[in-house]
Amino acid sequence: MASSSADRGRSRLRLVAWALGVAAALACPWVLGEGYHLHLVIMSLIFAIAAASLGLIVGYAGLLSLGHTAFFGLGAYVSALLFLHGGVPLWGGMLAGATVAAAVAFLLGRAILGVRGHRFVIVTVAFAEIMRLVAYNWVDVTRGPQGLPGILAPTLALPGLGAIDFAAKTNFYYLALAVAFACIALLSRIARSPLGWGFLALRENEQLGESIGVGAFRHAMLAFVIGAFFAGIGGALYAHYLNIVSPDVFFFSNTTMLLVMVVMGGLGTIVGPVVGAFVFTALPEYLRVASDYRLVFFGSLLIVAVLFFPRGLVELGERVAAAWRHFAGRR
Amino acid sequence: MVELIAQFAVNGLIVGLNYSLTAIGLTMIFGIMNIANFAHGQFYMLGGFFAYFLAQALGLNYFVALAVAVVAVACVGWAFERLVFTRLRRATLLSSVLATIGIGILLEALAHVVWGPQPENIPAPFSPIAVEIGPVYLTESRIFAFLTTIATLVALQLFLARTRFGTAMRAAFQQQEAALLVGIDVDRLHAFTFALGAGLAALGGALLGTLFSVYPTMGDLATLKAFIVVILGGLGSIVGATIGGLILGVAEGLGTMVASAWKDAVGFLLVILILLYKPDGLFKR
Repeated sequence: MASSSADRGRSRLRLVAWALGVAAALACPWVLGEGYHLHLVIMSLIFAIAAASLGLIVGYAGLLSLGHTAFFGLGAYVSALLFLHGGVPLWGGMLAGATVAAAVAFLLGRAILGVRGHRFVIVTVAFAEIMRLVAYNWVDVTRGPQGLPGILAPTLALPGLGAIDFAAKTNFYYLALAVAFACIALLSRIARSPLGWGFLALRENEQLGESIGVGAFRHAMLAFVIGAFFAGIGGALYAHYLNIVSPDVFFFSNTTMLLVMVVMGGLGTIVGPVVGAFVFTALPEYLRVASDYRLVFFGSLLIVAVLFFPRGLVELGERVAAAWRHFAGRR
Repeated sequence: MVELIAQFAVNGLIVGLNYSLTAIGLTMIFGIMNIANFAHGQFYMLGGFFAYFLAQALGLNYFVALAVAVVAVACVGWAFERLVFTRLRRATLLSSVLATIGIGILLEALAHVVWGPQPENIPAPFSPIAVEIGPVYLTESRIFAFLTTIATLVALQLFLARTRFGTAMRAAFQQQEAALLVGIDVDRLHAFTFALGAGLAALGGALLGTLFSVYPTMGDLATLKAFIVVILGGLGSIVGATIGGLILGVAEGLGTMVASAWKDAVGFLLVILILLYKPDGLFKR
């Protein structure tokens, strides 16, 4: 049958793509060296976690959260404080940071997820700003604007093999790769589960969703809390990679950047925000040549994209793929 | 002590009136166009910089510069409505919010390119010596900001109550579909609303910029505060925005007395309290 052979061809293609992707990911440090480019890839991986988690909230559940960086920052601060005061390494910090972020999201969600829409949007912004003010002014704990330096990357002792020191950039790269891969795999698993369908139902038509048993409030809450949890993981990774965290992580511009990654990458997908994270971590850096005009370009790009490519890079890819299939089919 | 409290309260009242001015523009855009305008603070910032530019670089009279700046920013708002928001009329909340964020980034970056990051002072013909009025001391610039804002609010109220276009705006506020049914021109209405909202924000920015200073990132906090005021007063309520602004201003003014570092947190705490106990705002429309 024609369709089954096409399926087999497609699955083979997917296998090849996977193999190439894994090979490229593993070879990255050798190709890029230890320098600035590898740094950008590591940052991209960290932001990919945050963007994918925001993708679940915005792209699937349709909740426009403009405070996502608050959960990222919470993860960063919690893991930083645990490390500095209790010597807890990244592993524990990641779990604790993510848990605290999720718990705070739950409390916030209880207050504001009852009515979704504009008010939710505005309150999430206000919440991130409150977090920034707390980090800025609670000097006894956070050292205020100076931030918390000295958050070291962990080492991992392997019996018989010695210890891996993740302070080395190449090693941290593999760590970030593993964590990002795990998080993104989990997020896309959730997105394709019945829970993910529930999120989509919430986004598309709340009343219809309720009528087939998709509790709107419950699903909104789950998306919000799960998203915050993964953002917390990303934040902990960020703190231990850069060795410092400051109140700047709570800036509204960070949320904006994550949102751009999600929307330009593609709403309603997990892979879109990941692609978006790589593009929009690298792009501003390479645009640095035009330093002052960087944000002029960026703002304009955002407006143009909203007007003409509302579904992002994934839409662009789909169009190219469709054109290719059309061409191949005719041959 | 009483004098001190009065002084901080009056200072807060003047800043609060300014918040009202900015927030009214925001709530009008929201009520009529159903857009949460995250670029609102950038129109506010632009008002300050235009006034600075006209008065400093072109040497215009301060009062003329103020008026021209407001009209110019209104034109910028009008242009963005025509170029961007007309095309997004049936778009989702997400698209319109993203578009306003894009406009905000663009305007702030342009201001940064043109005027640089450092704070600038708008040259104004006011004496720096404070005048004693009863128990409080006020500078001329504060008195001017106070009177101008009051006059603008009164004029706005008269416009909405007495003119044909103002009536159309109020109608659209209450019942969008019904307003369309009786033949109100949506294109004109939306363009005018956005221009008016941007102009009110610009006046706010130019007046507060005269009291303090103007710098490219001044709009960020202004947007957040305008949203706080709008939530306090109830989304889409003009009266609510006016009173909400006063509440926020006075609360901040008194907050400064207690702990000035936490001054900006006052508004956000107020919002959380309001949302917990009166989720529709203090003055639901």
